[in-house]
Formats: sequence, C-alpha cells, structure tokens
Amino acid sequence: MRYSEEEKAYLWLCACTDLDASARIAVLREAHDPAALFHGFPVPHASEGKSRRDEAEKFLAALERKGYFALTLLSDDYPENLKNIPDPPLVLYGAGRRELLRAQKFCIVGSRRAPASAIATGKRMAEEISRHITIVTGLAEGGDSAAIAGAIPSGNLICVLPCGLDNCYPAAHASLKERVVKAGLLLSEYLPEEGTTKYAFYARNRLLAGLSDGVLVLAAGKRSGALITANRAAEYGRDVFAIPYGLGVEQGEGCNDLIKHGAHLLTEAEDVLTMYGYGGESRAEAQFTEEETRVISALKERGEAHLAELAEALQMRVFEVTAILSALELKGAVAKSGGNRYTAV
Amino acid sequence: MIAKIVCYALNGLDGVPVEVETDVNKGIPSYEMVGLPDTAVKESKERVRSALKNSGLLFPVNRITINFAPADIKKEGASFDLAVAISLLKASEQLVGATTDGYVFLGELALSGDIRPINGILPILISAKSHGFSRFIIPADNAKEARFLSGAEIYPARTLTEVMRHLVGTLTIPPLQTAQYAPHTASGGGADLKFVKGQPVARRALEIAVAGGHNLLMVGPPGTGKTMLARCLPTVMPDLTFAEALEITKIHSIAGILGEEGIVTERPFRTPHHTATTVSLCGGGNQHVRPGEISLAHGGVLFLDELPEYKRSTLEALRQPLEDGVITVARAGGTFTYPARFMLCASMNPCPCGNYGARDKVCTCTPAEIRAYRKKISGPLLDRIDLQVEVDNISYDDLTAPEMCESSAQVKERVERVRAIQRNRFAAESISTNAEMGEREMARYCTLDAEGDKILRAAFERMNLSARARGRIIKVARTIADLDASEYIRPKHVFEAVSYRLFDKLG
Repeated sequence: MRYSEEEKAYLWLCACTDLDASARIAVLREAHDPAALFHGFPVPHASEGKSRRDEAEKFLAALERKGYFALTLLSDDYPENLKNIPDPPLVLYGAGRRELLRAQKFCIVGSRRAPASAIATGKRMAEEISRHITIVTGLAEGGDSAAIAGAIPSGNLICVLPCGLDNCYPAAHASLKERVVKAGLLLSEYLPEEGTTKYAFYARNRLLAGLSDGVLVLAAGKRSGALITANRAAEYGRDVFAIPYGLGVEQGEGCNDLIKHGAHLLTEAEDVLTMYGYGGESRAEAQFTEEETRVISALKERGEAHLAELAEALQMRVFEVTAILSALELKGAVAKSGGNRYTAV
Repeated sequence: MIAKIVCYALNGLDGVPVEVETDVNKGIPSYEMVGLPDTAVKESKERVRSALKNSGLLFPVNRITINFAPADIKKEGASFDLAVAISLLKASEQLVGATTDGYVFLGELALSGDIRPINGILPILISAKSHGFSRFIIPADNAKEARFLSGAEIYPARTLTEVMRHLVGTLTIPPLQTAQYAPHTASGGGADLKFVKGQPVARRALEIAVAGGHNLLMVGPPGTGKTMLARCLPTVMPDLTFAEALEITKIHSIAGILGEEGIVTERPFRTPHHTATTVSLCGGGNQHVRPGEISLAHGGVLFLDELPEYKRSTLEALRQPLEDGVITVARAGGTFTYPARFMLCASMNPCPCGNYGARDKVCTCTPAEIRAYRKKISGPLLDRIDLQVEVDNISYDDLTAPEMCESSAQVKERVERVRAIQRNRFAAESISTNAEMGEREMARYCTLDAEGDKILRAAFERMNLSARARGRIIKVARTIADLDASEYIRPKHVFEAVSYRLFDKLG
C-alpha cells in the first residue's frame, strides 16, 4: 500500500502525537497543507528532534506487519457517507477486504439481549440483504452477532470495533473477529493497541450510522445502545428501520418507539432491498412438508407457544412435534425462545 | 508350636489371603505383632486378650509373636481379630483335635468374646472361593450378605466360644442356606413418574437416556422439578441382574453402607452435595482407601444437582471414569481399581439469576454473565453428556395428553424392550448400550439414509457443531430409532436428537 505525503502527515498527527480530535483539526486548519507538518510546522507537545516522517514510516511499517491498512480522510476510498457526518475520523484502521469500503452499506444492530426470534429474523435478513448491500455492524452478542452470522457467507460485512484492531470486545468473540477479518472487513478509528472506554461505544455507534445508508434496529430496550445508532442515523439523514414488537416485550420497546417516531416498520428484508433498488427478486420460499406446514401455522396462530401446547392442539405426540420444530429451526423458520417455547420467525 | 490360620484382607474390590502365624515361646512374657499391621490391627491385641479371658479361655503368659504374611501388603481394620484369637488358641494348644485347615476366619471381636460384623464380606468370600477356600467362619451379622454365595460352607458364628466348640466338634453351627436372588423393582424412595406433572420434554429425554445408557443434563429455573425427575431415573431403569447386584453389593459392602437386605437389589441413586471433594467423588483417602461416590453409583445414577456449583477440578476428574467405566485410584499405599459405570444426571439453572426462559419472570443476566455461568462446565465434560434438555415451569393443569402422566412402570417396559434390541445388536461386541458405541460400531449400526445424512450435514453447518457432537447426535438418534422400533435412523429421529443438544445451539 502506498501512502502520499499528506496521508503520512495525517497518520503522524493521529498516531504519533497525543492531541485530541479537535486539536488535530485545529493544527491541520492552521497548516493549510498537511505536508507542512513534515517541514517543521509547530505542533503542540510534539517530541522534538525526531524526524516526523521517519516516525510516520515506522508506524506504517508496524501496521503493515500486522496486516492492517490505514485509511485517511484524503484516501480515494474513504467512504463518502462518512465524510458527511459532523466529526468524521481523520484516520481509520482496517483489516480484511478493503474494497468493501466502496460498496453500498446498510447497518444492522440490536440489543445484546435480543430475543431468540429477533436473532433468527436478523440473521435471515442479514443473509438476504448482504447479497446486494454490505452489512455494517458491531461485534457484540445478540443483534450484532445475528447480523454477522447472516452476512459472513457472502462476505459483504463490515464490523466496526470500539477498540483497537489488536483487541477484541467482548473478548469471548476473538474467534468471531478472526472470521470477520477472513470473510469481510474490520474497522476501527483507534490505534491498534488501544483498549476500549465507555465513550468509545458512543463514538463507534456514530461510525455505524455514518457509514450506512440505513440502519435497522432488530431489538432494543428503552435504553439500549442500539437506539444511539438509530438516533445518529436520524441526525445524519439516513433511513431508520425497526422490527415491530407486541406490547409488553421489554426488548422491543425501543423498536416500537422508533416506529412511533417515524422509523420504517420492517417485516421483510425485501422492504430494504426494494428501497435501495434491488427489487424483483423474490425470496426463495423454504420447502415445508405437510406436517411442518401444520406446525408452523399452529405456531403462527399463537405467536409463541410451548411444545406441549402445540402437541395438544395438533393432536400429536410431544416428541413428534419436537422433531418437526427442530427441523423447522434448522430451516430458519422458527426460533426457540427458552423454556421449551418456540416462535415463528 | 506354630499355628497358621487364614483370613483375608481387602485390596480394592478383591480379597487377598493373609496367613496369621502365631508362635508361643518360652521366655519373658511379651506380645508382638509383625507383618505391616496398621493401628486398628495392632489394637486387636487388647481385644483378643479380653475376648479370650471373657470367654473362659486362657491367654498364654509366654513370649508370643504374631506374624501376618505376606508381610508386604498393608493390613487394615479389625477383621483379623477372630483369626488372631483362633491362632493364639491353636498355638497355645487349647484347640486339641480341632481342624482349622481349609477354613477362613473373618470377624471382629468384642471384649466380651462376641463376634462383630465386618465390611466387605461378600467381596472377600467371592475372592476366597476363587482361591479354592470353601469353608468360612463369618460373623452372624454378616450372614444376610453372605447367603448369596453358593457352593461354599459358610458358618455364621455369634461368639468366640461358638467358633471354638464348632472347631473341636462339640457343637455344629448350621451352615448358611444359599438364598435365591430376587430382582426388586426399585421403589426409588417413593418417586414415580406418575407424580411428575407434565414435563413431556424432560420425560422423553429421561426415557431416551435410560434406554440408550446416555448421560443427561437438565437445565431449568429453580423449583421446576429437576430433582424429582432425576429421582425417577432408577425407577425406569431395568431390574438388576444377579451379577450386577453382586458387583454393586461388593462395592457397597466395602464402603460399609450395605443396608439390612444384605444385597443391593435396587439401582443406587447417589446425590453428593456440590461441596464434595474430588476424593469423596472418585475414591481415595489417606489411611483407608475407600470407593468414592462414582463407584457407589456404579450400576445406578449419579445425580449432580446445581452442576456449575461443583469445583471445576472435581468435575474434570469425572471425565475419565465416564469414558472407561472404572476408576483407578493410585496412592502411596497401593493402587486400587473400582468399577464406576454409572449414569450421570446433572441439573443446573439456565443462568445466574435462574429466570432465563421462564415464562413469568424476567431474566436480569447479561449475555456475558450467562456465558460465564455456562463456561463453568467444560466442553469436554459437556461432550460426554448426550442429552441436554430444558425443564420449564409452565403449568400443565389443562393439558391431558396421556404422555403427561405415564407411570414409571409404563416407561420401564419400553426401556426394557429397547435394551433387549441393543443386547441383540451388540451380542458380538463388548458393549451393551448405544451410548458406548465407538466409531467402528457407529459405522456398522448407525446407517443414515441419504436424506438423513443431508439433514445432518445441514445441521452441522448451521449449528457449527464439532465432530464429537455429531457422534453424540447419531448415538441418540439410534436410541430414538430403537424406541420407534425402526431399523434405520430416519430424518425425524435425527431432528429429535438435534433438539436435545441445547448447549451446542446456545453456542
């Protein structure tokens, strides 16, 4: 990867000084030409005596050894969408398929405690949407993981971390992180070795919204972090989508609120695809056997039902229903919601 | 004169013959014991002295040396008292005309001369018989346990005097009548599936587990009847055969927990508390090596309630016996092997607060907390538990399906049928249940049709299952197919088996 003088100057400013974001921008404004930084332009607190260019080169070499790349506001492939937010990061670090930066992007997020049905729905939608549009999400459990699971097969997936690329939050998702790097793209605005802070999640959520044309909230409680992403998206003028929930579902209150305030109500991935001009392709209907159809319609009638209840209604043995539901679960048509209860997806 | 008397020591589950040699010499009166006796054996000096005196016999005032041979094995406990007393009597020529050859003497003495029961009578008798001994003097209180051994003359004695008179021929102790073993339907302490309300999923899993010899994990909120379900396990297991009963009795006899019956007729149900140590679970100990809970559960059920609360190292120690069916305890004093083929049944809450999946309560745990809680149980251990089911807390009052209120007897009937199928299937193999199948047997007996194979592949891709989990699913599917009296494993059997891999799905 080749970097221009200006880009290197950006990198030096971001990686080799300890200025905060506003101070960096102030320096760049004053300097007019970023390359001036390499010609002795005064920068507060910068260490004297060392060649700034050498420092930048050294940093870049270290990045490349780890297999990362850096992306500056000046790069050709810096996402246009991101330039249009009030506080775009000067530099982003990435690992994986850089070409995804140019693709059209759609964000899917959801609470970490998303109900099983939302996880299954999210996975299916991510799978369908990612055939045409790159999915942007985080790396957390619940909604994020559902989106990742759906998008990994196509590889059209960008995950944005709230910490440096060396680290993983949550730590338990280290192997998931590896899979994302292999299949898609991992982004972060932090130096590779940086850890995470509370603030970093807010900042990361602005990138999720900023990168994308639209944001889908799979599940959110009243105070879920997913709502921050949705609010940023609304501020930036992006489309906001939410899945509707019945009353009394705690993890759906945030979604219902969004819809109440004007978010698109989403029931099919197709809604998103048509909106962005990818219509016409109907979803391949899953093939169900006669028994499966009976079970599914009985389940849909009830919304959520216990195994025994279904067996009673269908006049079948419980273990027969278990087997059928298990088959349907593998087809992605139902989700287990805990306590031997199932919901249709 | 030197007298030699035979008694037995225990080494693990086997009896080892020990010769008690007594020499009574002229000289300054003394009383020495040699040949690696432990404290309890040395104390027999005093018991024997008093017992002789109180039975109206003479304690020789000479230089007495008692040797236990072979000298290299450690002798423990009080079971040598009777042999020591008899050899003393013989050496001091108080047993004129008595035959002691071919006899084995077993028993602890009271100061009064009464004979007290000892632990491990049955394993000793079985070993001694195989060593060619056929005449035994045993404590009368051990008679119930000993009567199941056939082909030996067993004389239950109450007092030292009785033994002596029997040996010199002035009294004949009636030999023990061999008893016929009658299998017993486990009462399970009154537990029966008919008292379990609903829980069709757990019931079914329980039936599959017992039928195929699989291990079972029940996950559910507190108060949903997990313990009650577990208690029903022995009631649906097949009756003990005589050979099984003997083996279990041997272990229980050594541990000294044999009941009134004298033989174990019901499958054991052991519930060690979660504060249990590795040694108490697996066996061991410093002075007296004892079988642990897993051996006491041999042939029955080991129930671990609140699985994540057990110490992790303790649980890990179960892995090897779960695989091999035996545990070898190595201590400085020797290495002991105890059988430990048990069915593991465990229960746990779904999450730290216990309400995950509950209908009427909200779980307050974060995914990270739930993951940390479940991580307490290691993958390799979980891998050995074929069936993982949820036990829920819905009310079954308005559900009337017959499978909701079946009794243990009805389930047991089906279990016996499926066990018979497996006995036929594995007649030429060294295993007897589906759960014990290895790769080779699976390839031979678990043929999936093309469709079943396709399903399984799809399931693996979706659920991201390990190769081990695949094996587990196939074995469970085999048992389900057997319950369905189907020779081939059909897709529905595979699907059902997949639904019992709760933990794989949760990831």
